[in-house]
Amino acid sequence: MSEPLLDVTGLAKHYPVREGLILAKQVGTVRAVDGVSFSVKRGETLALVGESGCGKSTTARLVLRLIEPSAGTIRFEGADVTRITGAAQRAMRRRMQIVFQDPYASLNPRLTVADTIAEPMAVHGIGDAASRRKRVEELLSLVGLRSFHAQRYPHEFSGGQRQRIGIARALSVQPDLVVCDEPVSALDVSIQAQVVNLLKDLQRRFGLAYLFIAHDLAVVKHVADRVAVMYLGQIVEIGNKADLFANPRHPYTRALLAAIPHPDPQRRGQVKPLGGDVPSPMNPPPGCRFHTRCPFAQDRCRSEAPALRPMADGHEAACHFAETLPPAGLDFAGGLSEAAARRLALYARARAA
Amino acid sequence: MSAAVETEDTPVAPPRPGVLSRLLRDPGAAISLMLVILLIGAAVFAPLLAPTDPYDNDLTKAMQPPGSEGLPLGADAQGRDLITRLLFGLRVSLLMGFASVLAGGSIGALLGFLAAFYQRWLDGPIMRVMDMLLSFPAILVGLAIAAIFGPGILSVVIALSVATVPLMARIVRGSALVVMRLDYIEAARATGMTDARLIFRHLAPNCLSAIFVFVTLRFGQVILLGSALSFLGLGAQPPIPELGAMASEGRNFLFFAPHIAVIPCVVIFTIVLAFNVLGDALRDALDPRLRF
Repeated sequence: MSEPLLDVTGLAKHYPVREGLILAKQVGTVRAVDGVSFSVKRGETLALVGESGCGKSTTARLVLRLIEPSAGTIRFEGADVTRITGAAQRAMRRRMQIVFQDPYASLNPRLTVADTIAEPMAVHGIGDAASRRKRVEELLSLVGLRSFHAQRYPHEFSGGQRQRIGIARALSVQPDLVVCDEPVSALDVSIQAQVVNLLKDLQRRFGLAYLFIAHDLAVVKHVADRVAVMYLGQIVEIGNKADLFANPRHPYTRALLAAIPHPDPQRRGQVKPLGGDVPSPMNPPPGCRFHTRCPFAQDRCRSEAPALRPMADGHEAACHFAETLPPAGLDFAGGLSEAAARRLALYARARAA
Repeated sequence: MSAAVETEDTPVAPPRPGVLSRLLRDPGAAISLMLVILLIGAAVFAPLLAPTDPYDNDLTKAMQPPGSEGLPLGADAQGRDLITRLLFGLRVSLLMGFASVLAGGSIGALLGFLAAFYQRWLDGPIMRVMDMLLSFPAILVGLAIAAIFGPGILSVVIALSVATVPLMARIVRGSALVVMRLDYIEAARATGMTDARLIFRHLAPNCLSAIFVFVTLRFGQVILLGSALSFLGLGAQPPIPELGAMASEGRNFLFFAPHIAVIPCVVIFTIVLAFNVLGDALRDALDPRLRF
């Protein structure tokens, strides 16, 4: 098997919590990311999903070394890049780029679009001023903007256009891996589709690998090859998209999937939303971190933390009872009642007429 | 390509107005710019413009009111032509103001950026030193420096620079800390640029509005403070014309010959006002978000 492009093992970020004004002492640790391992192959999209505060964005920034990890290793093309600094690190940054969530904050308002897109090339000494200008025009047309946009400032663009500028900036140095930190969650739904399709298109053309952070499972279902589900700083399930969506092994993944809204009135009342809140990452519950909200929790879950265990064919889940859980609950795809199906058919005929 | 969505823009971008033409759209800014150019021009060309020598005294003309023959603005207590004194005084005052705001401001701004950028290591040490400096009144610093270097214009410039550094550092650090938290700084870091490029290309330009407001306000204050130091005898020494010193010389005759004190004060007032208005307008003209 080919070597993964990015290989992350045991990545962790712990923030000390200090109290006291003069003699500050550490009273706790926020385990924002706590031992995360995954790998991304060349040209592949790994989606990282989970609810707010589960450590998705922190993981993304750790991979890029925008935050220093507390533990773990990051390997890029087999080389350990966890501790490199200075010029070696700056050179490394060319290979991994990032697209941010908020297109209104991620562009320097003082720089024109041309300067913004050309800057990474200038930093890495790619080409001269003239060739960079040409490349900027290429990139603009690649992301669906026009060449006269180059001389404008970010505030003259809409959110979707700005996100395209951000993507052009990330692509300017021809990276191998692009970390997309919720790249579409700040955009309108119609624009989301355009940007997601643009990202897919660029991936096909340049063989990019994406680490795609998202909380919108519909987007994930569209873009991802593999999906990793995070809960409270840990990956609880990882697997191929089709497999994971069709046959989720972890109760949390099931809850997430069940929470996707479906336009199906029959479904009302059949989905039990998860009760309770995410426990504090300062004081995660003992045993399985999910046991406080898990409908299947047993005594063993309260005392013994489950490790990620391989299921079938690259699918891994961190649940003691992954194999013995009842089959993934309600299958809504064919769940229409006969009456509803008849009515829908009637509508379809009426529209066709 | 599905993503190639046309934008509803005109195909040709309209020509962008330059900074100057944007600046001149505001009548207040245009007037203040003219005043500033006039003042600087007068100071630079003082030796050519002045009708007489600034040290030429003629006691027979002492305290002549404005409008006397050959003395459009009158003469001071020593009978020196006030126009000549003003032109040369403007030179000294403006130079003092520029030099100390430039020196103090750039050192202060650099320290402020360093404190904000390397918050973990440098913020504490730099800002505590700034707090120490801030606790000395400018006049006291002036006294101390005059004691070391002897009274004179250089001492005033040094004292005012030293008094400007902590103020600038505080203001720059404050706005830099806000900018540091924005995504585009992280984006810039993610491209792999050096810290120096990050500071000067991404951090500093976005702190400019705070710097501009402060520099223009400070310029006025510094000219006033310089005048105060001259008044105390620490700055420009008597025969040298300096606006503040001239005003203080004139105060003894405020009742008999008010013009000796009032005219330099009006000039100081004009300088301060013109620079403040210009600074405000320049900040707006330099901000791309306010362009249209």
